[in-house]
Amino acid sequence: MRPNSLAFRLFATALGWTVLVLPLAGFIIYSMYAQEAFQSFDDKIKTLLSVVQTDSIDHTSTELGTPGDVGEPLFQRLHSGWYWQIKPLDEPTGPRRVSNSLATAELESPFLKWIAPDAADIRWSDGTGPLGQRLRIAEAVERLGDEVTGRRYSIIVAGPIDWPETRVSEFRTKLTMALALAGLGLVAMTLFQVRFGLMPLRAVERGLAQVRAGAAQRLEGHLPIEIEPLQQELNALIQSNQDIVDRARTQVGNLAHALKTPLAVITNEADDDKGPFATKVAEQARVMRDQINLYLDRARMAAQSGTIGKATEVAPLVEPLQRALERIYRDKGVAITVHCPDDAKFQGEKQDLEEMLGNLLDNACKWSKGRVYLSIDAPSASVRAARRRLQIVVEDDGPGLTAEQRTQIGKRGLRLDESKPGTGLGLSIVGDLAQSYRGSMDLAQSAHGGLAVRLDLPAV
Amino acid sequence: MRALVVEDDPDLNRQLVAALTEAGFAVDKAMDGEEAYFLGETEPYDIVVLDIGLPKMDGISILEQWRRADKKMPVIILTARDRWSDKVAGMDAGADDYLAKPFHMEELLARVRAQVRRASGHAKSEIECGLLRLDTTTARVAYDGQTIKLTSHEYRLLAYMMHHNGRVVSRTELVEHLYEQDFDRDSNTIEVFIGRLRKKIPGDLIKTVRGLGYRLAQEDDAS
Repeated sequence: MRPNSLAFRLFATALGWTVLVLPLAGFIIYSMYAQEAFQSFDDKIKTLLSVVQTDSIDHTSTELGTPGDVGEPLFQRLHSGWYWQIKPLDEPTGPRRVSNSLATAELESPFLKWIAPDAADIRWSDGTGPLGQRLRIAEAVERLGDEVTGRRYSIIVAGPIDWPETRVSEFRTKLTMALALAGLGLVAMTLFQVRFGLMPLRAVERGLAQVRAGAAQRLEGHLPIEIEPLQQELNALIQSNQDIVDRARTQVGNLAHALKTPLAVITNEADDDKGPFATKVAEQARVMRDQINLYLDRARMAAQSGTIGKATEVAPLVEPLQRALERIYRDKGVAITVHCPDDAKFQGEKQDLEEMLGNLLDNACKWSKGRVYLSIDAPSASVRAARRRLQIVVEDDGPGLTAEQRTQIGKRGLRLDESKPGTGLGLSIVGDLAQSYRGSMDLAQSAHGGLAVRLDLPAV
Repeated sequence: MRALVVEDDPDLNRQLVAALTEAGFAVDKAMDGEEAYFLGETEPYDIVVLDIGLPKMDGISILEQWRRADKKMPVIILTARDRWSDKVAGMDAGADDYLAKPFHMEELLARVRAQVRRASGHAKSEIECGLLRLDTTTARVAYDGQTIKLTSHEYRLLAYMMHHNGRVVSRTELVEHLYEQDFDRDSNTIEVFIGRLRKKIPGDLIKTVRGLGYRLAQEDDAS
């Protein structure tokens, strides 16, 4: 996830929020719980104190009562941390009562430490117990008998501070674990949310890559409404771009073709005259014609470079070519023998394959003595070769070429035999086209006597 | 031999007409599609040179309509569009040959002659009839090796008869195939030309078939 990405932005904000909010929430919950725990601890002590107080002090008598079962068994266990103690305040030797748990030990009186009572007339303090336990001490002061002159007693109930603290600390551990889990869950959820939420954008990215590679003409798919306008605009842009290219291509084609008629006029006019001027004009007209053809081909190839991924069925294309050529060469009685599997598919533009096949067959017909062979094969891709290939062989039974001539022939405009009509561009156009599809053309001696031209092209 | 040149560029049209006339054809010209269609429909041409890109009606449609109307004259398509898809479309519409612009006039003439010969069933560029020999490439006529000088009308008449030797050619047919469309036709002039040809060519080669027309003498003729 790169820093400058939507995914990162979404993820980082979610993460930041989680990191900020979860501990804060944890702290608040913890504080409330702790407060609650200590409060209920104090309440328990307070309740016990009131029980002990009621049991021991009876205002109708001057005799100190003895609290019995106050509902807390821990008062019975020695040094349990839970204690009560009743003791006269003003004289150290007066009658004294303590819980069994306290035994001979003594608890400090908050009254004697000058601690002020709370609203319920209870004095609170933290102290230490017989075994050094930290204790929460609550004390009520009461006169026995007469409420004004009676002897003052300090009634104390103490509980171990460890007791709420343990609960709080246990709670804190559990809370931390729970929140950590929730945090992790949130992070995972955010991650998923970001991935899932941004999936349409990935689809757009893939779609655009396909458009650029030529595998698709427009951005397909049903996108969420937020980016649907983007999709529409992109498609409009792609379309307008396509239109501009098409228009430019058409204009180039029109210009080139419009030039051909005047060029024909010039050529013919110059042919009629044998003077040096006419010769020069004829020569230059030929140069112009070759240039026009060259740039027409270039324009075509440039336009085609964005359209890899198109598939052209071969068989429906061969038949009209065969028909047309057999008609063109019917005086010679040329028969074209075709072998072409029905499912052969060329990966590229129809026009380009047509141009290659047309030029090769035309050439073969021109030189043949009556038999031309076209063989097309699209062998199934072997496991290792990733791509299927289309293998096209065009052969004739004509005079053929020597090895030396074969190396020369690919050159543009070169004609080995000036006596036959033609521009000398046929084979070099085929070679260029094949190359533009990352294919190849090579020449060999045919078993039928003439030239064999082999084309290797991408298949589907 | 009559030829129709259909080309909307005036210069190229003029050149084509001049070249074909020089090659011995009686040439009509059309500058747009409708005119071309009408001429092809009504006149018996021996060859048509047809441009594809035309005003009013394109060449392919014209050709298709001619062929549908059972017009069988040879047609050579002339066009700047030289993609194979264009060529296939042209041939499928019923063209007999296809020539891409720019072209050399000799090449066009060679193809025109080839189509005319093919249409009349001759494979070679030289047509022979007994000792008489017609070289269609050079428009030369020789009898027993001796060149015979002919005027253009005499040549047209003889060339037509040689292309169609072996059958009777009527006077009307000769008139139709020897003169341009707007020529003031008079079938009597045919007799004049036949007379001149009989004088120039030894061996009483041109036979009159009473009531039907003329034919060239065959080797097995008893005389």
